[in-house]
Amino acid sequence: MAQNLTRYAYWHFRDFVRERGLALIITSSLLGFTVVAPMRAMLGANIGETDAKRILILALPQVVFIAAFIALNGIVSTDRKLGYYRFLFSKPVSIPAYYTQYFIVSVVGFLAVFAFLFGVFALVIRPFNPLGALAFCTLVYLSFGGIAFLVSSLFRYDWPILAGIYLGSALVNGFWGLETGWKLFIRNILPPLHQLSPNDLVNLGTVDTKAVVWLLGYSAICFVAGLIVLWKRPIG
Amino acid sequence: MIELKNASKTYRPLFGRSVTAVVDFSLDIAEGEVLGIAGPNGAGKSTLLSLLLGYLKPTSGTVLIRGMDPRAFIEKNGIGYLSELMSINPNWKAEDALTRFATLAAVPPAEIPVRVNAVIEELGIGEHRDKKIKALSKGNLQRLGVAQSLLRDEQIVILDEPTHGLDPVWTQRFRAIVEGLRQPGRTIIIASHNLDELQRLADRVAIIDRGRLQRLVQTGYDQATDTGGKYRLSIAAGTHRVREFLPAAVDTGEGEFELSVGSVVELNAALSRLIAGGVLIAAVMPARSVLEQQFREAVGEQT
Repeated sequence: MAQNLTRYAYWHFRDFVRERGLALIITSSLLGFTVVAPMRAMLGANIGETDAKRILILALPQVVFIAAFIALNGIVSTDRKLGYYRFLFSKPVSIPAYYTQYFIVSVVGFLAVFAFLFGVFALVIRPFNPLGALAFCTLVYLSFGGIAFLVSSLFRYDWPILAGIYLGSALVNGFWGLETGWKLFIRNILPPLHQLSPNDLVNLGTVDTKAVVWLLGYSAICFVAGLIVLWKRPIG
Repeated sequence: MIELKNASKTYRPLFGRSVTAVVDFSLDIAEGEVLGIAGPNGAGKSTLLSLLLGYLKPTSGTVLIRGMDPRAFIEKNGIGYLSELMSINPNWKAEDALTRFATLAAVPPAEIPVRVNAVIEELGIGEHRDKKIKALSKGNLQRLGVAQSLLRDEQIVILDEPTHGLDPVWTQRFRAIVEGLRQPGRTIIIASHNLDELQRLADRVAIIDRGRLQRLVQTGYDQATDTGGKYRLSIAAGTHRVREFLPAAVDTGEGEFELSVGSVVELNAALSRLIAGGVLIAAVMPARSVLEQQFREAVGEQT
């Protein structure tokens, strides 16, 4: 990556924190609160490690998928829609490289937000080792990131499409989990987010390798497709 | 330096009619040249600039900068560009925006504050440096846009409606800035509705309409003046005697007359007759500049 772009990573990170960081903290806190508060009320003040993990396992899927959606939508399309690309790409930068860097910086920002939220959780509920939970956040972000990047590269109004894909994936996997034929084909082309569960990561620190490879592979293919779109199709 | 060969661009929406914004456009723009682009609204100027910047690809034909695809050239060298639409994130501060653009423009880190301060000084936006973009007036925003295009000594500078929103003082200063940018190795392209500005700044002006290059007009003092056409005479004394010496002159009121002549020699002869007859002339001005005249003819409105 060119040095000028690498130096711009600071500004990318700042943009992420200012434009999405606060929204992520507020939304995730509110969503988390709806799960954590009743559990805490039920279990009392002295929550053991097992119960703390149980709360976390319940809260994480509720929070992280929505947070990933907030973090990822508009990653390319906002600049196209609002015309910011005009000044940015008159400078000596490659468009795919610019957005790849923003994607990478966003992962760091996303994890920083969740590290902060887990710190709050540790204070309010009980201290815990956050590595498993952070690994889950990383996996969700990366798994969802590829398709989000592709959709954002293709469409100016990406978030309704992304929300549709996300919802469609959840519905199809819920209703057609055991189907074959064309229903299986539809199921296979939608992001396989149902394969992600925080159970093993938070409890044991392990992960279903096959599921992760499938998820990351799917996401990587989508991401590369997004890069090809940015490389081949003019941004204007 | 820049070569457009039979470049066309057709927009094909999913629904609705296709629109061809640029049609079979061929033009060579030389190093060191200041080229003006003029045309009525919807003539295809913005599409043409987007083709030059590689933000759009031609549907047919080619656009090359130093023999390279425009995006490849820009990704390697960068370009000084002022967009007509001032699309900068409204939450950025003015100075931060310039620092960001300088970073992306590959200005060496140690020089960034120096360059940013220099363009802030040159464009007179020092008192606004800590303001957010959304708090800037149209004129200050325009000056910021000009400032970001001058952060680095680019070989190519493209300015789309550069004086739009500027007050007369800054319009004048902008002209001085462009004159200062003139260099043998630098190509400057200015798209503007302001024909007077193009007449003063550009070496040639491409007049486009309905996506086509209609005319390529050489500008410059000699070309502008050594020609026939309509002239406006402002008379200080002896108004009633003007028609006596120049029967063809049209009285436009308030001591002013419009006179059509075939050449500058003919104009001077007419003026001599007036002076000899005791008429006091206050001013002689072309009724329309050559460029304006050509523009009106090219876009279909006869003078």
